Formats: sequence, C-alpha cells, structure tokens
Amino acid sequence: MHYPDIDRYADLDSPVHRLEPRVKIISFGILIVFAVFAVSIPSALVFLALSVVILLASRLPVRFILHRMKAICVFVIPILVLMPLTVPGTPLFSAGPLCVSEEGLSFALLVTIRSVAAILLVVTMLGTQRFDTTLKALSMFRLPGIIVQMLLFTYRYIYVMIDEFLSIWSSMRAKGYKFRLNRFGLTMIGNLIGMLLIKSYERAERVYQSMIAKGYTGKPMSFSSFRITATDCLFCAVVAIFAIGIQVYCMEIPWEELLR
Amino acid sequence: MGRAVEITSLNHQYGDGTVSLEDVSLAIDEGERIAVIGQNGAGKTTLFLHLNGSIRSFDDNVLIFGRNIGTMPIEKRIQNVGVVFQEPDDQLFMPTVYDDVAFGPTNMGLPEDEVERRVKEALSTVGLSGFEDRVPHHMSYGQKKCVALAAVLSMEPRILVFDEPTANLDPKNRAIFLSLINELNRSKGITTIVAMHDVNAVPEVADRVFILNRTIVAAGTPADIFSDIDLLESNNLDVPEICKLFSFLECYGCRCDVPPLTIHDAARALKRMIDRNGGSLQLSSNGNTEEEMVDLIRRFRN
Repeated sequence: MHYPDIDRYADLDSPVHRLEPRVKIISFGILIVFAVFAVSIPSALVFLALSVVILLASRLPVRFILHRMKAICVFVIPILVLMPLTVPGTPLFSAGPLCVSEEGLSFALLVTIRSVAAILLVVTMLGTQRFDTTLKALSMFRLPGIIVQMLLFTYRYIYVMIDEFLSIWSSMRAKGYKFRLNRFGLTMIGNLIGMLLIKSYERAERVYQSMIAKGYTGKPMSFSSFRITATDCLFCAVVAIFAIGIQVYCMEIPWEELLR
Repeated sequence: MGRAVEITSLNHQYGDGTVSLEDVSLAIDEGERIAVIGQNGAGKTTLFLHLNGSIRSFDDNVLIFGRNIGTMPIEKRIQNVGVVFQEPDDQLFMPTVYDDVAFGPTNMGLPEDEVERRVKEALSTVGLSGFEDRVPHHMSYGQKKCVALAAVLSMEPRILVFDEPTANLDPKNRAIFLSLINELNRSKGITTIVAMHDVNAVPEVADRVFILNRTIVAAGTPADIFSDIDLLESNNLDVPEICKLFSFLECYGCRCDVPPLTIHDAARALKRMIDRNGGSLQLSSNGNTEEEMVDLIRRFRN
C-alpha cells in the first residue's frame, strides 16, 4: 500500500534537510508570515523566487511538490478567477455583464503569488523532515500538549483509517457496488462513513486501554536529541534579515519625511 | 516461589447489564506458564483488563504479588503486569517504534539513558534492533506484533499477559512469537498468561490451562483438559489436531499411554510405541472400529 506521505523524501540529504527542526520551523515561519503579508507584487515575487530557490536546494522531486500543491490550488484558482470580476476599479476589458478591473486583477495576482509562495514553503518544510520530528519540535516550543497529542494521533491513525476505508470499500466492490450519484449510491457512502466512525470509536476505546496499560497519565512523552549549530543560527538570522529587508524596501516608506 | 496472581470471587458486568465475569477465582504462581481458553465472549479480555488494573474491581479481590492492583500507583502496576493486546495497531499509538517502546519506561519516570537502554534491549529481544526510527504503518503485521511486545517488555513487567498472540500471524511469525513467549518465561522467569483460541498452540505455551466461560469451568494440565472431549465440546472448544489423530489411531488398537499434544510429543510417542512393539506399529480394526470412528468424526466436527 502506497500512502500519501508528506514526509516521503525526509531521508534525502540536502542543506534544507540538515537544518535543525526547531530552527527550520522558525525560519520557514518567518518567511511564510512575510510572504503572506507582502505588500506589493514585486515583493511577493521576491518571496516566491526565494521559496523556489529553497525548494531546489532541498532536492525534493518537483513532481512530488506539484502533486502536493494540486489540492491546495483548488482553493487558490477561484480567487484568481473571481477577484478581477468582483473587485471594483478601472475596467481593463469587459464582455457583456462581466468586467475585469485592473485593481481586481492586480489584487488577484498578489494573493495568488503570496499563496503559492507560502504553500511552497510549507510543503518544503514538511517534506524535508519527518512528521514526527516536526511534532517533537512543536512540542519543544511549548505548544499545548493536547494539540501535540491530537496531531500525533491524527498522524498515526490516518493510515489505519485509510486501510479500514479501503477494506470496507473493497468488500463493497466485491459485492458489486458501483458508485452512482443517486439515492442508493449516496446512502451506501453514508453507511461507509458511519461504519468508519463506529470502527474509529471502538478503536479509540482499545487504544485508550493500551495507553493506560503503558502508564499514560495525560502528559505527552518524548525524548528528542535536537542540537542547534552555528550554521542553523546563521541561516535563521539571514532569513529574518532578508524577509524584513524586502518588506521594508517594498513598503515605500517616506524616509525623507520621517527623518526631516 | 511466590503467588503472582490471586483472584477471589471476581464479578463484572458491563453498563448494559451483560454479565462478563461471574465468581471467577484463580491463583497463579510466579514463573508459571498459563493459558486461558474460552469461546468468544467468554470474558478473557475483561479478565485481563482486571489483571493490569484497567478495569478496577471495587471488591479489592485482584491481588498481584499479594497487593491489590486497584490501589497500586500506575507506575507500579505497569512494572508488575504488562498486557500485549490482540491488535498491534491499537497498541502502537506513537509515530515511531522508538517513541512507542519508550512510552512505558518514560511514564515510569526513568532517566533518559535508562529508557534508551531498555528500548534497545527490548527491541533486541524481539529481534528488531535497528528499527527504532521506523514508523508502524510501514511495517508488516508480524513486525508490528513484535514491536507491541517490545513496548511492553521495556517496562520489564514480572507478569506478561497475551491476548490472542497468534491471531492473524503466518506460520513462521506464529512459531517465532510462541518461542519468544517461552524464552521470556525460561530466561527471565516472567509469568506468562496467554488467552487463545489456537488450541494447537496451547500445549506449547502453557503448563496449566483454565477454561473460562464467564466463570472458571475447569483447570488442569493441557493433557487433563484436552483429553476431556466432553468438557471441550460443552464449552465450544476444539481439540488439538494431534489429539484427534491419536484418538483415531486408538480406534485401530494403537493406544498411547500418554496422549501427545504437540508435534514433538507425537514424534516421541510414535517412536516409543514402535520400539515397544519390536520395530513396527500395528493397526487393526475390529467390529467396533467403524462405529467408534464415526462417533469421533461427529464429535470433532461439532
């Protein structure tokens, strides 16, 4: 069974892979925040270019990244299409009742570039370290234990759920079920989801029993041997300076007036 | 040798009123190899959950090494009783093998280096050294089962409880797992308690067998239990294949003084019978043979 692992290429060797997990999260976090708040198309393009450079440095296969981005693009493309039509402003061209505005187009481009840059950074960050490592790093940032445990169980059991879904689906197919968009087809899908929920509930009970059997007291437990090196600190500092620099440079701050 | 488990008149019923255990009493000595057999819904898992305190009896009648398991602190409970559940996916809830095997010792409050030592030792015992960074969903069922055992061994419990240890295992992994259970009992002196439907495996892992059907119906050595076909029949249990074969041989006048229960016992028994008979084995039928065979086949089919 091939699972859709986000961390399938976490064992590759690249400068991005070698970054200490906590430093990686902070550095990528800074870049994502600044990319999302880029004030103009040129500054957003700089962040997009930087995210592409980091992606190339990470040696993650481009096909893998594109595949990961596909699902997220479903949300971005409607923005790109609808904004030029809905934001009022200088008309660029019109066709019947539809009018594309210059402001709308420019805002749509800005939002799209920001989103693509941020998504590239997120996928690169998650793809270059194992997901459990990311969770351990988050736990060391004092993220509330309940959230870490929820993420941890989601990560662990999503694969079990996939297996259970596939086994129910196979047995439905073995009994001649074919999905059709009619009342019967939808009822069967509803039953499948219901069965998955019941199975999950029962499994949760059993998992809880085995957690108790191993002395679970509610605290997230994990040892991690992360070590921050000078290179990690340098990378983080360069990223922070670069991000702030780009933002300040593109903000068109009236320095002369301020200094006067 | 001390008393490892002592249960006196244990009763339990679920919220919907279903009685799962009724007046269960049993005693197990330290270092014993025990099997609990019983049909589906006989209460085996419920009994096991009482042994590690997951279900608490308010009558304080479950004693582990002379102490009430219900009032024992959780760190002590897991040092005394480790339960290996049937489904490894239920037991391996951490993202990596290391995290899972380290979960129990960490909860016991052990220092990091001791946790690491225990993880390494437990994984080496089950033959999975080097699997520390593996994720459970990329492992085979047999490997997951072994990791589940390692995750319990790392707590170094004095009693190990196995719920259906051979369920869904292929013959090779089944043999590995059974020999692991015996090795743990032999080399570390761990008391092993096994619940299983696999009656062919019971004589390999148990010196004493309890039949549970909400209450303890019978107790004895595997030879005592498996020679009583009526008892097994009335509790919807099967007879080991080797026993069946030697019962058929008996119909042909080939009587074995001690009926074998395992394939190794069978080989030894055959050799003894052949030696005693001057180098050959004679099978013969009489007027009753066919009738006896038909009766046996009917009983074994039920």
